[in-house]
Amino acid sequence: MTEMFSNLYGQNEAQGPPGSSSLGFGPGKPPPPLPPNQVTMAAQMPPQHGDEGPALRKPGAMNEPFYLLRELPVGNELTGNTNLITHYNLEHAYNKFCGKKVKEKLSNFLPELPGMIDCPGTQDGSSLRSLIEKPPVCGNSFSPLTGASLAGFRLHTGPLPEQYRLMHIQPPKKKSKNKHKHHRPQDPIPQETPSDSDPKKKKKKRDDDPDRKKKKKDKKKKKNRHSPDHPGLAGSQPNSNSLR
Amino acid sequence: MAEKFDNLEEHLEKFVENIRQMGIIVSDFQPSSQTGLNQKLNYMITGLQDIEKCRQQLHEINVPLEAFEYIDQGRNPQLYTKECLERALAKNEQVKGKIDTMTKFKSLLISELGKVFPEEMTKYKAIHGDDPPLIVTLDL
Repeated sequence: MTEMFSNLYGQNEAQGPPGSSSLGFGPGKPPPPLPPNQVTMAAQMPPQHGDEGPALRKPGAMNEPFYLLRELPVGNELTGNTNLITHYNLEHAYNKFCGKKVKEKLSNFLPELPGMIDCPGTQDGSSLRSLIEKPPVCGNSFSPLTGASLAGFRLHTGPLPEQYRLMHIQPPKKKSKNKHKHHRPQDPIPQETPSDSDPKKKKKKRDDDPDRKKKKKDKKKKKNRHSPDHPGLAGSQPNSNSLR
Repeated sequence: MAEKFDNLEEHLEKFVENIRQMGIIVSDFQPSSQTGLNQKLNYMITGLQDIEKCRQQLHEINVPLEAFEYIDQGRNPQLYTKECLERALAKNEQVKGKIDTMTKFKSLLISELGKVFPEEMTKYKAIHGDDPPLIVTLDL
């Protein structure tokens, strides 16, 4: 490449220092005529336009009439000049998500999901990231449990230990002004199922609820404290905070 | 497409509700609740079978991992969508600004070169087509 360049323009150095005039630039100056041997060299040179040529020359570059004149790139129809939101018909989505305030908590997105879902998943090991990094062993088909398998699910009677009780308690929800007809009960009472349609069973379950038992106990204690027949201190006891 | 999601959503809701009821039964277990618990355990297995069937219809669905980050933090995943749209719009505006600036520069350069090198610019325009300047006045 450099040899060809020097062959083309090297002899001009004998005439004068190479400057803008030798390249044909400059206000109103005509380009100098090529010496005869350079004309033949130019004729012998392979066609510039579109040839692969030496590795240094970029494809599509021409040397006539301007050095390294390239073809303009084919313009894309879709550029940053276009409003891409409109182009992909996302105005509705944009107004929905960016026009209105989106609530921060996960429980606002999944209001029907029970449990404390607003806490980070890393705290109780329920993160989706851990599920992706360590997927559970699966592949076997799901088959119903037989009698022998169900024997392992025979539980002891009575309430759960304290540490496991909070699993089914929902976080307190703000009461909205417009009360929805579909209201999920906060108390851990199971919804009606075909097997539990008997009203007697319903009453029994309500009585067996541990929270209600505690409430009843507290109420009894309060009554006993404030009654004149109570042997302990009368009237000076601080009120205990009852459970909700 | 939406039907597949509705189907999966329905199965998931039933499954979660079943698990919730199992939790209530277990929280204060009575011997009479054993049959109900066994029934719910089998409901849980059929629920898993139904969810497994839904998986085959949704194997082409891709979910961005960044959305999982929001869920793991206890945040609404719609915030991820919102932030994506806002970032896309901001980038769109940024690129549009660059295009506009480069277009103005090109017009200005062509007009100034035309004043300084009129003959050369005539040749250039003959090759690349007459590219009229997009601006008439200069914002200086």
